[in-house]
Amino acid sequence: MTQGILTAKWWKFLCALLLIYTAIAGFLIPVPAKPILHETIRNLYFHVCMWFAMMFIFTVSLVYSIKYLMDPKKEFDIIASQTANTGTVFGILGLITGMLWLRYTWGETGKDWWAPDPKLNGALIALLSYFAYIVLRISMDDEQKKARVAAVYNIFAYVMMIVFVMIYPRLSNVDSLHPGNGGNPGFNQYDLDNHMRMVFYPAVMGWVLLSAWIASINIRMEKINSYHHNKI
Amino acid sequence: MNQLIAIMQRELRHELRSRRAWLAILLYIASTVYITYLAFQHDLEPVTWNALFWILIIFISMFAASGSFSGREGEMLYIYILVSPARFILARLLYNGIFMVVVSIITLLVYIMFTGNPVGSIAVFMATVLLAVWGISSLLTMAFAISIKGGGGFTLMAIISFPLLVPLLIIAQHLSSQSMQPNPSEYIGNLAALLSLDALIAALCYLLFPYLWRD
Repeated sequence: MTQGILTAKWWKFLCALLLIYTAIAGFLIPVPAKPILHETIRNLYFHVCMWFAMMFIFTVSLVYSIKYLMDPKKEFDIIASQTANTGTVFGILGLITGMLWLRYTWGETGKDWWAPDPKLNGALIALLSYFAYIVLRISMDDEQKKARVAAVYNIFAYVMMIVFVMIYPRLSNVDSLHPGNGGNPGFNQYDLDNHMRMVFYPAVMGWVLLSAWIASINIRMEKINSYHHNKI
Repeated sequence: MNQLIAIMQRELRHELRSRRAWLAILLYIASTVYITYLAFQHDLEPVTWNALFWILIIFISMFAASGSFSGREGEMLYIYILVSPARFILARLLYNGIFMVVVSIITLLVYIMFTGNPVGSIAVFMATVLLAVWGISSLLTMAFAISIKGGGGFTLMAIISFPLLVPLLIIAQHLSSQSMQPNPSEYIGNLAALLSLDALIAALCYLLFPYLWRD
């Protein structure tokens, strides 16, 4: 079943179409002119979508880690590890797009790369724990042990990350500069004429599909690798 | 229940018998605290005091936790025959939690002796330390079990536990900076957050440890 979805063509065409639309409409369709934000509001179509894609692909990774612990099949482990790798790439892109954006909107323009903000801390912690996952996998040789230990760590890290992201902004004395937090308006308040929604929703879908596409290629490559590895 | 107590007794005996282990921890505490004292002398603002305290706690608890599973692979095989993994991890979490609380209280006393005590509300501060240290010890227990299976020892443990420790530390630091005032307000919610994080970590250890145990 998984094989069928992985190799099916239709959703890859859909993904390409949506992303072409995002790139063209994202830069051309008018956006509300707001002080400070100006045209940077277009980052919504890229930065925010990276996090959607990352969360989607990490959740797939979590599901396959649980599946592996229930039923230790090599295929499940390959899917869990390759989706985690792909998610990390999207996380890095999300962080970079966010850092570029905050450089021109938060504090003194063009001065800071980083801010002590709950959202940024959460994102960085998530990324660090997935880097640790990669290091953990590299440091083990025994295939089955590697798969099991990595699955345990993956579940642990994912749950901690989600809970932290939920608890952290609710602590007293914590405030966020991030749009949509701490009394700052999110894009819903800016998007009065629904122009942005027309691009944002397709963009989210497109990027999520792209993450699935990249992961599926990685998974197939890893399957071929392990097949050859076992043959020799 | 009897099994739990038996495992914990065995751990305690093991710990007391190897004098090297706990003397090493005491020396580690004394020297790290003394180095921070030398670096800062008496000019510690409450904010700095707070930050340094939690940094000390991280490193001391890492050092203490690394002693807990190491060099005892053969013994593990013996325990493997006797008890279920769920019981074993419960006993370990309890034992390590109590052990780390004792270690952190010693650290706190030595730290106060050298650098003074800027804490305004002792009750809130102690509650924070107890809950945070309990969570840190459970997390490190699990991280160490993972890193032993990974064959990486201390380095691997540090890498995989730091990102997971950050949530606990951020909440603990918020709380303890609140406790620098004599009558802090709005700390109940943060304490509840810390407690729920502890419970979550314990539940995850309980559920996931059996999969590490199998070999």
